[in-house]
Amino acid sequence: MRSVWIFYQKEMLEAVRSYRLIWIPVVFILLGIMQPLTAYYMPEILGAAGNVPPGMLENYEVPSAAVVMVQALGQYSTIGMLVLALITMNSISGERYSGSAEMVLVRPLTPLAMVVAKWAALLTVLVLALGLGASGAAYYVMELIGPLSWGGISSAAGLYGLWLMCAVSLTLLFSAFLRATAAAFLGLLSAAAFSLAHSLLPAWFDWTPAALPGLSAAMLLEDGGALRLGPLLSAPLFIISCIAGAALLLRRKQLPG
Amino acid sequence: MMLLEATNLRKHFGKHTSVDGISFDIEQGSCVALLGPNGAGKTTTLRMLAGLLEPDSGLISFDGGQPGGDYRKALGYLPQAPSLYGWMSGQEYVLFAAKLSGLNSREAADRGAEVLERVGLKEHARRRISGYSGGMKQRLGLAQALVHRPRLLLLDEPVSALDPLGRREVMELLRDIRDETTIVFSTHVLHDAEEICDHIILMNRGRIAEQGPLASLRSQYSLPVIRLRTEKMSGARKWLEELASRSFVLESRFAGEDVMFNVNDVELARHTILSEAVSREIPLLHFETGSSTLEDLFMKVVGA
Ligand SMILES: Nc1ncnc2c1ncn2[C@@H]1O[C@H](COP(=O)(O)OP(=O)(O)O)[C@@H](O)[C@H]1O
Ligand SMILES: [Mg+2]
Repeated sequence: MRSVWIFYQKEMLEAVRSYRLIWIPVVFILLGIMQPLTAYYMPEILGAAGNVPPGMLENYEVPSAAVVMVQALGQYSTIGMLVLALITMNSISGERYSGSAEMVLVRPLTPLAMVVAKWAALLTVLVLALGLGASGAAYYVMELIGPLSWGGISSAAGLYGLWLMCAVSLTLLFSAFLRATAAAFLGLLSAAAFSLAHSLLPAWFDWTPAALPGLSAAMLLEDGGALRLGPLLSAPLFIISCIAGAALLLRRKQLPG
Repeated sequence: MMLLEATNLRKHFGKHTSVDGISFDIEQGSCVALLGPNGAGKTTTLRMLAGLLEPDSGLISFDGGQPGGDYRKALGYLPQAPSLYGWMSGQEYVLFAAKLSGLNSREAADRGAEVLERVGLKEHARRRISGYSGGMKQRLGLAQALVHRPRLLLLDEPVSALDPLGRREVMELLRDIRDETTIVFSTHVLHDAEEICDHIILMNRGRIAEQGPLASLRSQYSLPVIRLRTEKMSGARKWLEELASRSFVLESRFAGEDVMFNVNDVELARHTILSEAVSREIPLLHFETGSSTLEDLFMKVVGA
Protein backbone atom coordinates (compact mmCIF):
# COMPACT_ATOMS: atom_id res chain seq x y z
CA MET A 1 0.00 0.00 0.00
CA ARG A 2 2.77 2.39 0.97
CA SER A 3 4.63 1.65 -2.24
CA VAL A 4 1.51 2.55 -4.24
CA TRP A 5 1.43 5.90 -2.48
CA ILE A 6 5.15 6.55 -3.04
CA PHE A 7 4.86 5.68 -6.71
CA TYR A 8 1.69 7.75 -7.05
CA GLN A 9 3.52 10.77 -5.66
CA LYS A 10 6.28 10.23 -8.19
CA GLU A 11 3.71 10.04 -11.00
CA MET A 12 2.04 13.26 -9.88
CA LEU A 13 5.37 15.05 -9.57
CA GLU A 14 6.11 13.95 -13.11
CA ALA A 15 2.70 15.24 -14.24
CA VAL A 16 3.54 18.61 -12.72
CA ARG A 17 7.09 18.80 -14.07
CA SER A 18 5.97 17.84 -17.57
CA TYR A 19 3.16 20.46 -17.40
CA ARG A 20 0.65 17.67 -18.08
CA LEU A 21 -1.33 18.77 -15.06
CA ILE A 22 -1.77 22.17 -16.72
CA TRP A 23 -2.12 21.62 -20.43
CA ILE A 24 -4.64 18.81 -20.27
CA PRO A 25 -7.11 20.73 -18.10
CA VAL A 26 -6.58 23.71 -20.41
CA VAL A 27 -7.46 21.60 -23.45
CA PHE A 28 -10.53 20.25 -21.67
CA ILE A 29 -11.67 23.72 -20.65
CA LEU A 30 -11.25 25.06 -24.18
CA LEU A 31 -13.14 22.12 -25.66
CA GLY A 32 -15.89 22.52 -23.09
CA ILE A 33 -16.53 26.24 -23.43
CA MET A 34 -16.24 26.25 -27.20
CA GLN A 35 -19.56 24.44 -27.55
CA PRO A 36 -21.84 26.94 -25.75
CA LEU A 37 -19.96 29.85 -27.33
CA THR A 38 -20.33 28.58 -30.91
CA ALA A 39 -23.95 27.55 -30.33
CA TYR A 40 -24.81 30.98 -29.03
CA TYR A 41 -22.86 33.06 -31.47
CA MET A 42 -23.55 30.91 -34.53
CA PRO A 43 -25.52 33.60 -36.39
CA GLU A 44 -22.76 36.17 -35.82
CA ILE A 45 -20.08 33.71 -36.85
CA LEU A 46 -21.91 32.81 -40.05
CA GLY A 47 -22.77 36.44 -40.68
CA ALA A 48 -19.17 37.48 -40.36
CA ALA A 49 -18.19 34.82 -42.87
CA GLY A 50 -20.44 36.63 -45.38
CA ASN A 51 -22.48 35.30 -48.32
CA VAL A 52 -25.12 33.62 -46.17
CA PRO A 53 -28.46 33.62 -47.95
CA PRO A 54 -30.80 36.03 -46.14
CA GLY A 55 -33.61 34.30 -44.32
CA MET A 56 -31.43 31.36 -43.44
CA LEU A 57 -30.31 32.89 -40.22
CA GLU A 58 -33.83 33.76 -39.22
CA ASN A 59 -34.59 30.11 -38.72
CA TYR A 60 -31.60 29.56 -36.50
CA GLU A 61 -32.63 28.64 -33.05
CA VAL A 62 -30.12 28.33 -30.23
CA PRO A 63 -30.37 24.72 -29.01
CA SER A 64 -31.54 24.14 -25.47
CA ALA A 65 -29.15 24.36 -22.57
CA ALA A 66 -29.26 20.60 -22.00
CA VAL A 67 -28.51 19.84 -25.64
CA VAL A 68 -25.52 22.18 -25.69
CA MET A 69 -24.19 20.67 -22.49
CA VAL A 70 -24.50 17.19 -23.99
CA GLN A 71 -22.64 18.36 -27.08
CA ALA A 72 -19.95 19.92 -24.92
CA LEU A 73 -19.34 16.62 -23.12
CA GLY A 74 -19.42 14.88 -26.51
CA GLN A 75 -16.31 16.86 -27.46
CA TYR A 76 -14.34 14.79 -24.99
CA SER A 77 -14.99 11.58 -26.86
CA THR A 78 -12.81 12.72 -29.76
CA ILE A 79 -10.07 15.21 -28.99
CA GLY A 80 -10.38 14.62 -25.26
CA MET A 81 -9.95 10.88 -25.74
CA LEU A 82 -6.98 11.47 -28.04
CA VAL A 83 -5.27 13.66 -25.45
CA LEU A 84 -5.84 11.06 -22.75
CA ALA A 85 -4.50 8.29 -24.97
CA LEU A 86 -1.40 10.38 -25.64
CA ILE A 87 -0.57 10.72 -21.97
CA THR A 88 -1.44 7.10 -21.21
CA MET A 89 0.43 5.41 -24.02
CA ASN A 90 3.88 6.04 -22.61
CA SER A 91 3.01 5.43 -19.05
CA ILE A 92 4.09 1.80 -18.69
CA SER A 93 5.65 1.28 -22.08
CA GLY A 94 8.05 4.19 -21.61
CA GLU A 95 9.33 2.80 -18.34
CA ARG A 96 9.69 -0.68 -19.74
CA TYR A 97 11.64 0.30 -22.81
CA SER A 98 13.82 2.91 -21.16
CA GLY A 99 14.78 0.51 -18.40
CA SER A 100 13.50 2.60 -15.51
CA ALA A 101 10.89 -0.08 -14.77
CA GLU A 102 13.73 -2.51 -14.12
CA MET A 103 15.18 -0.19 -11.50
CA VAL A 104 11.97 0.22 -9.53
CA LEU A 105 10.61 -3.31 -9.87
CA VAL A 106 13.80 -4.71 -8.38
CA ARG A 107 12.73 -3.05 -5.15
CA PRO A 108 9.84 -4.36 -3.10
CA LEU A 109 7.34 -2.81 -5.53
CA THR A 110 4.97 -5.25 -7.19
CA PRO A 111 3.89 -4.76 -10.79
CA LEU A 112 0.33 -4.42 -9.47
CA ALA A 113 1.31 -1.58 -7.16
CA MET A 114 3.03 0.18 -10.03
CA VAL A 115 0.03 -0.19 -12.35
CA VAL A 116 -2.45 0.91 -9.68
CA ALA A 117 -0.35 3.99 -8.89
CA LYS A 118 -0.13 4.92 -12.55
CA TRP A 119 -3.85 4.37 -13.00
CA ALA A 120 -4.64 6.53 -9.97
CA ALA A 121 -2.43 9.32 -11.30
CA LEU A 122 -4.23 9.19 -14.66
CA LEU A 123 -7.55 9.27 -12.83
CA THR A 124 -6.42 12.35 -10.94
CA VAL A 125 -5.54 14.15 -14.15
CA LEU A 126 -8.82 13.10 -15.74
CA VAL A 127 -10.94 14.19 -12.78
CA LEU A 128 -9.20 17.55 -12.71
CA ALA A 129 -9.47 18.11 -16.45
CA LEU A 130 -13.05 16.91 -16.78
CA GLY A 131 -14.16 18.70 -13.63
CA LEU A 132 -12.77 22.03 -14.80
CA GLY A 133 -13.84 21.46 -18.41
CA ALA A 134 -17.42 20.53 -17.57
CA SER A 135 -17.69 23.38 -15.06
CA GLY A 136 -16.46 25.85 -17.66
CA ALA A 137 -18.92 24.53 -20.21
CA ALA A 138 -21.78 24.60 -17.70
CA TYR A 139 -20.93 28.15 -16.68
CA TYR A 140 -21.20 29.48 -20.25
CA VAL A 141 -24.29 27.40 -20.97
CA MET A 142 -26.03 28.93 -17.97
CA GLU A 143 -24.78 32.43 -18.70
CA LEU A 144 -25.70 32.43 -22.36
CA ILE A 145 -28.46 29.91 -22.90
CA GLY A 146 -30.41 28.78 -19.93
CA PRO A 147 -30.41 27.17 -16.52
CA LEU A 148 -29.24 23.64 -15.77
CA SER A 149 -29.15 21.72 -12.53
CA TRP A 150 -25.66 21.22 -11.09
CA GLY A 151 -26.78 17.76 -9.96
CA GLY A 152 -27.59 16.76 -13.52
CA ILE A 153 -24.32 18.23 -14.77
CA SER A 154 -22.18 16.39 -12.26
CA SER A 155 -23.83 13.04 -12.79
CA ALA A 156 -23.58 13.49 -16.56
CA ALA A 157 -19.92 14.44 -16.28
CA GLY A 158 -19.30 11.56 -13.89
CA LEU A 159 -20.80 9.03 -16.28
CA TYR A 160 -18.82 10.50 -19.14
CA GLY A 161 -15.68 10.35 -17.02
CA LEU A 162 -16.31 6.69 -16.29
CA TRP A 163 -16.44 6.01 -20.02
CA LEU A 164 -13.22 7.94 -20.60
CA MET A 165 -11.58 6.08 -17.75
CA CYS A 166 -12.50 2.78 -19.41
CA ALA A 167 -10.63 3.92 -22.51
CA VAL A 168 -7.68 5.11 -20.42
CA SER A 169 -7.53 1.78 -18.57
CA LEU A 170 -7.59 -0.13 -21.82
CA THR A 171 -4.76 1.98 -23.24
CA LEU A 172 -2.85 1.40 -20.02
CA LEU A 173 -3.30 -2.33 -20.51
CA PHE A 174 -1.91 -2.11 -24.05
CA SER A 175 0.92 0.05 -22.79
CA ALA A 176 2.02 -2.79 -20.51
CA PHE A 177 3.16 -4.97 -23.40
CA LEU A 178 3.25 -2.82 -26.55
CA ARG A 179 5.21 0.16 -27.78
CA ALA A 180 3.64 3.51 -26.90
CA THR A 181 2.21 4.40 -30.30
CA ALA A 182 0.74 0.95 -30.83
CA ALA A 183 -0.86 1.17 -27.39
CA ALA A 184 -2.46 4.55 -28.12
CA PHE A 185 -3.63 3.43 -31.54
CA LEU A 186 -5.20 0.22 -30.26
CA GLY A 187 -6.74 1.99 -27.27
CA LEU A 188 -8.44 4.60 -29.46
CA LEU A 189 -9.43 2.03 -32.06
CA SER A 190 -11.06 -0.23 -29.48
CA ALA A 191 -12.96 2.67 -27.92
CA ALA A 192 -14.22 3.72 -31.36
CA ALA A 193 -15.14 0.15 -32.28
CA PHE A 194 -16.96 -0.23 -29.01
CA SER A 195 -18.96 2.95 -29.57
CA LEU A 196 -19.76 1.95 -33.13
CA ALA A 197 -20.91 -1.49 -32.05
CA HIS A 198 -23.14 0.12 -29.48
CA SER A 199 -24.74 2.47 -31.98
CA LEU A 200 -25.29 -0.33 -34.51
CA LEU A 201 -26.58 -2.93 -32.08
CA PRO A 202 -27.77 -1.01 -29.03
CA ALA A 203 -29.74 -3.96 -27.70
CA TRP A 204 -26.63 -6.11 -27.53
CA PHE A 205 -24.25 -3.55 -26.11
CA ASP A 206 -26.63 -1.78 -23.77
CA TRP A 207 -25.05 -3.22 -20.66
CA THR A 208 -21.46 -2.40 -21.67
CA PRO A 209 -19.43 0.73 -20.82
CA ALA A 210 -20.10 1.93 -24.38
CA ALA A 211 -23.63 2.83 -23.24
CA LEU A 212 -22.24 5.35 -20.75
CA PRO A 213 -22.14 8.40 -23.06
CA GLY A 214 -25.82 7.75 -23.85
CA LEU A 215 -26.64 7.48 -20.16
CA SER A 216 -24.71 10.64 -19.52
CA ALA A 217 -26.78 12.50 -22.14
CA ALA A 218 -30.00 11.13 -20.66
CA MET A 219 -29.02 12.61 -17.29
CA LEU A 220 -29.27 16.06 -18.84
CA LEU A 221 -31.98 15.62 -21.44
CA GLU A 222 -34.46 13.58 -19.47
CA ASP A 223 -33.81 15.29 -16.20
CA GLY A 224 -32.64 12.45 -14.06
CA GLY A 225 -33.18 9.88 -16.80
CA ALA A 226 -33.35 6.17 -16.26
CA LEU A 227 -30.09 5.11 -14.65
CA ARG A 228 -29.41 1.60 -15.88
CA LEU A 229 -27.29 -0.61 -13.69
CA GLY A 230 -25.62 -2.64 -16.47
CA PRO A 231 -23.07 -0.07 -17.66
CA LEU A 232 -22.51 1.16 -14.12
CA LEU A 233 -21.42 -2.29 -13.04
CA SER A 234 -19.66 -3.44 -16.18
CA ALA A 235 -17.46 -0.33 -16.38
CA PRO A 236 -15.73 -0.80 -13.00
CA LEU A 237 -15.36 -4.49 -13.74
CA PHE A 238 -13.82 -3.66 -17.09
CA ILE A 239 -11.42 -1.20 -15.47
CA ILE A 240 -10.39 -3.67 -12.78
CA SER A 241 -9.74 -6.34 -15.42
CA CYS A 242 -7.57 -3.91 -17.37
CA ILE A 243 -5.52 -3.11 -14.28
CA ALA A 244 -5.15 -6.75 -13.31
CA GLY A 245 -4.24 -7.69 -16.88
CA ALA A 246 -1.67 -4.90 -17.10
CA ALA A 247 -0.07 -6.06 -13.84
CA LEU A 248 0.10 -9.67 -15.04
CA LEU A 249 1.59 -8.72 -18.39
CA LEU A 250 4.08 -6.40 -16.75
CA ARG A 251 5.18 -9.19 -14.47
CA ARG A 252 5.75 -11.49 -17.42
CA LYS A 253 7.18 -9.04 -19.91
CA GLN A 254 8.76 -6.36 -17.84
CA LEU A 255 12.16 -6.55 -19.50
CA PRO A 256 12.55 -6.15 -23.22
CA GLY A 257 15.62 -8.03 -24.47
CA MET B 1 29.23 -18.19 5.26
CA MET B 2 27.31 -18.32 2.03
CA LEU B 3 25.11 -15.36 1.30
CA LEU B 4 23.63 -16.71 -1.87
CA GLU B 5 23.53 -20.12 -3.45
CA ALA B 6 22.46 -20.59 -7.02
CA THR B 7 21.89 -24.10 -8.25
CA ASN B 8 21.50 -25.17 -11.83
CA LEU B 9 20.00 -21.94 -13.15
CA ARG B 10 18.64 -22.11 -16.64
CA LYS B 11 16.93 -19.54 -18.83
CA HIS B 12 16.02 -19.56 -22.47
CA PHE B 13 14.41 -17.02 -24.77
CA GLY B 14 12.63 -18.72 -27.62
CA LYS B 15 15.04 -21.29 -29.04
CA HIS B 16 18.09 -19.59 -27.62
CA THR B 17 19.42 -20.78 -24.26
CA SER B 18 20.97 -17.75 -22.58
CA VAL B 19 21.92 -19.40 -19.30
CA ASP B 20 22.50 -23.10 -19.42
CA GLY B 21 22.45 -24.70 -16.01
CA ILE B 22 24.94 -22.76 -13.91
CA SER B 23 25.65 -23.19 -10.20
CA PHE B 24 27.70 -21.00 -7.92
CA ASP B 25 27.89 -19.66 -4.38
CA ILE B 26 28.47 -16.11 -3.25
CA GLU B 27 30.31 -15.89 0.01
CA GLN B 28 29.32 -13.20 2.49
CA GLY B 29 31.64 -10.23 2.23
CA SER B 30 33.25 -11.31 -1.01
CA CYS B 31 33.53 -9.42 -4.26
CA VAL B 32 32.72 -11.60 -7.21
CA ALA B 33 33.28 -10.75 -10.85
CA LEU B 34 30.98 -12.28 -13.39
CA LEU B 35 33.33 -12.22 -16.32
CA GLY B 36 32.54 -13.04 -19.92
CA PRO B 37 32.25 -11.68 -23.43
CA ASN B 38 29.08 -10.06 -24.76
CA GLY B 39 26.23 -12.51 -24.96
CA ALA B 40 27.74 -14.82 -22.33
CA GLY B 41 24.60 -14.58 -20.22
CA LYS B 42 25.83 -12.21 -17.51
CA THR B 43 22.88 -9.84 -17.64
CA THR B 44 20.41 -12.70 -17.72
CA THR B 45 22.12 -14.25 -14.68
CA LEU B 46 22.10 -11.00 -12.71
CA ARG B 47 18.46 -10.38 -13.56
CA MET B 48 17.58 -13.82 -12.23
CA LEU B 49 19.52 -13.12 -9.03
CA ALA B 50 17.71 -9.78 -8.76
CA GLY B 51 14.32 -11.47 -9.05
CA LEU B 52 13.54 -9.62 -12.28
CA LEU B 53 13.53 -12.76 -14.39
CA GLU B 54 12.05 -16.07 -13.40
CA PRO B 55 14.56 -18.89 -14.08
CA ASP B 56 13.15 -21.70 -16.22
CA SER B 57 14.60 -24.08 -13.68
CA GLY B 58 17.06 -24.01 -10.83
CA LEU B 59 17.06 -22.57 -7.35
CA ILE B 60 18.33 -19.42 -5.70
CA SER B 61 18.61 -19.36 -1.96
CA PHE B 62 19.50 -16.18 -0.09
CA ASP B 63 21.16 -16.25 3.30
CA GLY B 64 20.24 -19.85 3.93
CA GLY B 65 16.56 -19.12 3.36
CA GLN B 66 14.00 -21.06 1.38
CA PRO B 67 14.69 -21.03 -2.37
CA GLY B 68 12.23 -18.64 -3.96
CA GLY B 69 12.02 -16.42 -0.89
CA ASP B 70 11.72 -12.67 -1.36
CA TYR B 71 15.01 -10.96 -0.50
CA ARG B 72 14.53 -7.80 -2.55
CA LYS B 73 14.81 -5.56 0.49
CA ALA B 74 18.36 -6.80 0.98
CA LEU B 75 19.30 -6.21 -2.63
CA GLY B 76 20.92 -3.28 -4.40
CA TYR B 77 20.88 -3.41 -8.18
CA LEU B 78 22.38 -1.30 -10.92
CA PRO B 79 21.41 -2.41 -14.43
CA GLN B 80 23.67 -2.29 -17.44
CA ALA B 81 22.06 0.83 -18.89
CA PRO B 82 20.50 2.52 -15.89
CA SER B 83 17.62 4.80 -16.72
CA LEU B 84 17.01 7.37 -14.03
CA TYR B 85 14.09 9.79 -14.32
CA GLY B 86 15.75 12.80 -15.94
CA TRP B 87 13.13 15.21 -14.62
CA MET B 88 14.01 14.38 -11.00
CA SER B 89 16.93 15.78 -9.10
CA GLY B 90 19.57 13.38 -7.85
CA GLN B 91 18.32 13.86 -4.33
CA GLU B 92 14.71 13.19 -5.27
CA TYR B 93 15.66 9.97 -7.02
CA VAL B 94 17.66 8.64 -4.10
CA LEU B 95 14.83 9.44 -1.67
CA PHE B 96 12.28 7.83 -3.96
CA ALA B 97 14.43 4.70 -4.19
CA ALA B 98 15.02 4.58 -0.44
CA LYS B 99 11.32 4.88 0.35
CA LEU B 100 10.41 2.17 -2.13
CA SER B 101 12.87 -0.10 -0.35
CA GLY B 102 11.04 0.45 2.90
CA LEU B 103 12.91 3.28 4.63
CA ASN B 104 10.73 5.85 6.35
CA SER B 105 10.98 9.48 5.27
CA ARG B 106 13.47 10.39 7.92
CA GLU B 107 15.82 7.46 7.40
CA ALA B 108 15.53 8.04 3.68
CA ALA B 109 16.57 11.67 4.04
CA ASP B 110 19.52 10.83 6.29
CA ARG B 111 20.76 7.92 4.24
CA GLY B 112 20.12 9.78 0.99
CA ALA B 113 22.34 12.66 2.03
CA GLU B 114 24.97 10.20 3.22
CA VAL B 115 25.21 8.21 0.00
CA LEU B 116 25.10 11.30 -2.20
CA GLU B 117 28.05 12.69 -0.33
CA ARG B 118 29.75 9.34 -0.54
CA VAL B 119 29.54 9.21 -4.33
CA GLY B 120 30.57 12.84 -4.62
CA LEU B 121 27.24 14.24 -5.75
CA LYS B 122 26.47 16.38 -2.74
CA GLU B 123 26.92 19.63 -4.66
CA HIS B 124 24.81 18.39 -7.53
CA ALA B 125 22.06 16.81 -5.44
CA ARG B 126 19.49 19.43 -6.35
CA ARG B 127 20.22 19.50 -10.04
CA ARG B 128 18.05 17.69 -12.57
CA ILE B 129 19.45 14.30 -13.53
CA SER B 130 18.98 15.12 -17.22
CA GLY B 131 21.89 17.55 -16.85
CA TYR B 132 24.28 14.98 -15.32
CA SER B 133 27.27 13.56 -17.18
CA GLY B 134 27.55 9.82 -17.82
CA GLY B 135 29.91 9.38 -14.89
CA MET B 136 27.62 11.33 -12.57
CA LYS B 137 24.63 9.25 -13.62
CA GLN B 138 26.56 6.07 -12.93
CA ARG B 139 27.57 7.36 -9.50
CA LEU B 140 23.96 8.26 -8.80
CA GLY B 141 23.09 4.74 -9.94
CA LEU B 142 25.47 3.44 -7.29
CA ALA B 143 23.97 5.77 -4.70
CA GLN B 144 20.45 4.52 -5.36
CA ALA B 145 21.68 0.93 -5.16
CA LEU B 146 23.37 1.59 -1.82
CA VAL B 147 20.90 3.84 -0.10
CA HIS B 148 19.01 1.14 1.80
CA ARG B 149 22.20 -0.63 2.96
CA PRO B 150 21.73 -3.76 0.87
CA ARG B 151 23.47 -6.94 1.91
CA LEU B 152 24.08 -7.90 -1.70
CA LEU B 153 24.97 -5.44 -4.43
CA LEU B 154 24.43 -6.55 -8.02
CA LEU B 155 26.12 -4.36 -10.62
CA ASP B 156 25.79 -5.05 -14.33
CA GLU B 157 28.81 -3.75 -16.23
CA PRO B 158 29.14 -0.71 -13.99
CA VAL B 159 32.15 0.75 -15.79
CA SER B 160 31.80 -0.48 -19.35
CA ALA B 161 30.08 2.58 -20.77
CA LEU B 162 32.27 5.14 -19.03
CA ASP B 163 35.21 7.17 -20.26
CA PRO B 164 38.56 6.51 -18.51
CA LEU B 165 37.99 9.22 -15.94
CA GLY B 166 34.48 8.09 -15.04
CA ARG B 167 35.70 4.53 -14.99
CA ARG B 168 38.43 5.39 -12.50
CA GLU B 169 35.96 7.21 -10.22
CA VAL B 170 33.54 4.31 -10.15
CA MET B 171 36.30 1.74 -9.62
CA GLU B 172 37.59 3.73 -6.66
CA LEU B 173 34.09 3.80 -5.20
CA LEU B 174 33.67 0.07 -5.66
CA ARG B 175 36.99 -0.56 -3.95
CA ASP B 176 35.60 1.44 -1.05
CA ILE B 177 32.17 -0.20 -0.94
CA ARG B 178 33.72 -3.65 -1.10
CA ASP B 179 34.47 -3.55 2.62
CA GLU B 180 30.85 -2.92 3.56
CA THR B 181 28.82 -5.32 1.56
CA THR B 182 28.91 -8.28 -0.76
CA ILE B 183 29.33 -7.34 -4.41
CA VAL B 184 28.65 -9.24 -7.60
CA PHE B 185 29.56 -7.30 -10.69
CA SER B 186 29.69 -8.28 -14.30
CA THR B 187 32.26 -7.15 -16.79
CA HIS B 188 33.74 -8.20 -20.08
CA VAL B 189 37.14 -6.81 -19.12
CA LEU B 190 39.42 -9.13 -17.18
CA HIS B 191 41.46 -6.23 -15.91
CA ASP B 192 38.45 -4.71 -14.13
CA ALA B 193 37.74 -8.00 -12.45
CA GLU B 194 41.34 -8.46 -11.31
CA GLU B 195 41.46 -4.94 -9.97
CA ILE B 196 38.86 -5.25 -7.26
CA CYS B 197 37.50 -8.78 -7.02
CA ASP B 198 38.61 -11.76 -5.07
CA HIS B 199 36.46 -14.29 -6.89
CA ILE B 200 35.85 -14.83 -10.56
CA ILE B 201 33.07 -16.63 -12.36
CA LEU B 202 34.08 -16.92 -15.98
CA MET B 203 31.09 -17.38 -18.27
CA ASN B 204 30.79 -18.10 -21.93
CA ARG B 205 27.71 -19.02 -23.96
CA GLY B 206 25.53 -19.46 -20.94
CA ARG B 207 27.90 -21.79 -19.13
CA ILE B 208 30.46 -21.33 -16.42
CA ALA B 209 33.85 -22.09 -17.93
CA GLU B 210 35.81 -21.64 -14.73
CA GLN B 211 35.23 -20.24 -11.29
CA GLY B 212 37.09 -19.80 -8.05
CA PRO B 213 39.20 -17.45 -5.99
CA LEU B 214 41.31 -15.19 -8.14
CA ALA B 215 44.58 -16.27 -6.50
CA SER B 216 44.01 -19.96 -6.99
CA LEU B 217 42.90 -19.48 -10.60
CA ARG B 218 46.09 -17.51 -11.19
CA SER B 219 48.34 -20.23 -9.90
CA GLN B 220 46.31 -22.96 -11.52
CA TYR B 221 46.65 -21.32 -14.90
CA SER B 222 50.20 -20.26 -14.51
CA LEU B 223 51.65 -22.76 -17.01
CA PRO B 224 54.91 -22.41 -18.87
CA VAL B 225 54.41 -20.80 -22.26
CA ILE B 226 56.54 -19.66 -25.14
CA ARG B 227 55.39 -16.81 -27.32
CA LEU B 228 57.01 -16.09 -30.65
CA ARG B 229 56.53 -14.08 -33.76
CA THR B 230 58.19 -14.37 -37.11
CA GLU B 231 58.24 -12.27 -40.18
CA LYS B 232 55.53 -13.09 -42.65
CA MET B 233 56.84 -15.81 -44.97
CA SER B 234 55.55 -19.20 -45.94
CA GLY B 235 58.60 -21.16 -44.69
CA ALA B 236 58.20 -19.65 -41.26
CA ARG B 237 54.56 -20.48 -41.11
CA LYS B 238 55.22 -24.08 -42.07
CA TRP B 239 57.88 -24.36 -39.43
CA LEU B 240 55.57 -22.97 -36.75
CA GLU B 241 52.88 -25.44 -37.62
CA GLU B 242 55.44 -28.21 -37.49
CA LEU B 243 56.54 -27.08 -34.04
CA ALA B 244 52.98 -27.26 -32.81
CA SER B 245 52.99 -31.02 -33.28
CA ARG B 246 56.19 -31.65 -31.31
CA SER B 247 55.91 -33.69 -28.14
CA PHE B 248 56.92 -30.86 -25.79
CA VAL B 249 54.02 -28.69 -27.01
CA LEU B 250 50.82 -29.32 -25.08
CA GLU B 251 48.72 -26.76 -26.81
CA SER B 252 49.21 -24.04 -29.36
CA ARG B 253 47.36 -20.92 -30.37
CA PHE B 254 47.91 -19.05 -33.59
CA ALA B 255 46.93 -15.44 -34.11
CA GLY B 256 48.36 -14.17 -37.40
CA GLU B 257 52.15 -14.35 -37.12
CA ASP B 258 51.90 -14.60 -33.33
CA VAL B 259 52.05 -18.03 -31.80
CA MET B 260 51.71 -19.20 -28.25
CA PHE B 261 52.78 -22.66 -27.15
CA ASN B 262 51.93 -24.22 -23.83
CA VAL B 263 54.93 -26.44 -23.17
CA ASN B 264 55.84 -29.09 -20.63
CA ASP B 265 59.61 -28.65 -20.86
CA VAL B 266 60.74 -25.06 -21.25
CA GLU B 267 64.46 -25.93 -21.56
CA LEU B 268 63.94 -28.41 -24.34
CA ALA B 269 61.43 -26.20 -26.10
CA ARG B 270 63.66 -23.15 -25.98
CA HIS B 271 66.68 -25.06 -27.23
CA THR B 272 64.81 -26.71 -30.05
CA ILE B 273 63.06 -23.59 -31.24
CA LEU B 274 66.13 -21.35 -31.17
CA SER B 275 68.46 -23.81 -32.82
CA GLU B 276 65.96 -24.66 -35.54
CA ALA B 277 65.32 -21.00 -36.16
CA VAL B 278 69.04 -20.51 -36.77
CA SER B 279 69.56 -23.58 -38.92
CA ARG B 280 66.49 -22.90 -41.07
CA GLU B 281 67.19 -19.18 -41.26
CA ILE B 282 63.78 -18.23 -39.91
CA PRO B 283 63.37 -14.43 -39.47
CA LEU B 284 62.41 -14.48 -35.80
CA LEU B 285 61.02 -11.17 -34.52
CA HIS B 286 60.02 -12.04 -31.00
CA PHE B 287 60.77 -14.84 -28.61
CA GLU B 288 59.67 -14.99 -25.01
CA THR B 289 59.34 -17.61 -22.33
CA GLY B 290 57.00 -17.02 -19.42
CA SER B 291 53.93 -18.35 -17.80
CA SER B 292 50.39 -18.08 -18.95
CA THR B 293 48.08 -15.58 -17.30
CA LEU B 294 44.40 -15.30 -16.68
CA GLU B 295 44.34 -13.25 -19.85
CA ASP B 296 45.36 -16.38 -21.73
CA LEU B 297 42.67 -18.38 -19.98
CA PHE B 298 40.13 -15.70 -20.78
CA MET B 299 41.16 -15.57 -24.44
CA LYS B 300 41.05 -19.34 -24.65
CA VAL B 301 37.56 -19.51 -23.19
CA VAL B 302 36.27 -16.67 -25.30
CA GLY B 303 37.94 -17.84 -28.44
CA ALA B 304 36.71 -21.40 -28.13
N1 LIG C 1 14.79 -10.65 -23.16
C1 LIG C 1 15.49 -11.36 -24.06
N2 LIG C 1 14.88 -11.86 -25.15
C2 LIG C 1 15.57 -12.60 -26.05
N3 LIG C 1 16.87 -12.89 -25.95
C3 LIG C 1 17.54 -12.42 -24.90
C4 LIG C 1 16.90 -11.63 -23.89
N4 LIG C 1 17.81 -11.30 -22.96
C5 LIG C 1 18.97 -11.86 -23.37
N5 LIG C 1 18.82 -12.54 -24.52
C6 LIG C 1 19.88 -13.29 -25.23
O1 LIG C 1 20.56 -14.07 -24.30
C7 LIG C 1 21.95 -14.06 -24.57
C8 LIG C 1 22.70 -13.63 -23.34
O2 LIG C 1 22.42 -12.27 -23.12
P1 LIG C 1 22.95 -11.45 -21.88
O3 LIG C 1 22.57 -12.16 -20.64
O4 LIG C 1 22.46 -10.07 -22.05
O5 LIG C 1 24.53 -11.51 -22.08
P2 LIG C 1 25.66 -10.55 -21.52
O6 LIG C 1 25.06 -9.68 -20.47
O7 LIG C 1 26.69 -11.48 -20.98
O8 LIG C 1 26.17 -9.78 -22.68
C9 LIG C 1 22.17 -13.16 -25.76
O9 LIG C 1 22.36 -13.98 -26.89
C10 LIG C 1 20.90 -12.36 -25.85
O10 LIG C 1 20.60 -12.09 -27.19
MG1 LIG D 1 24.97 -7.69 -20.39
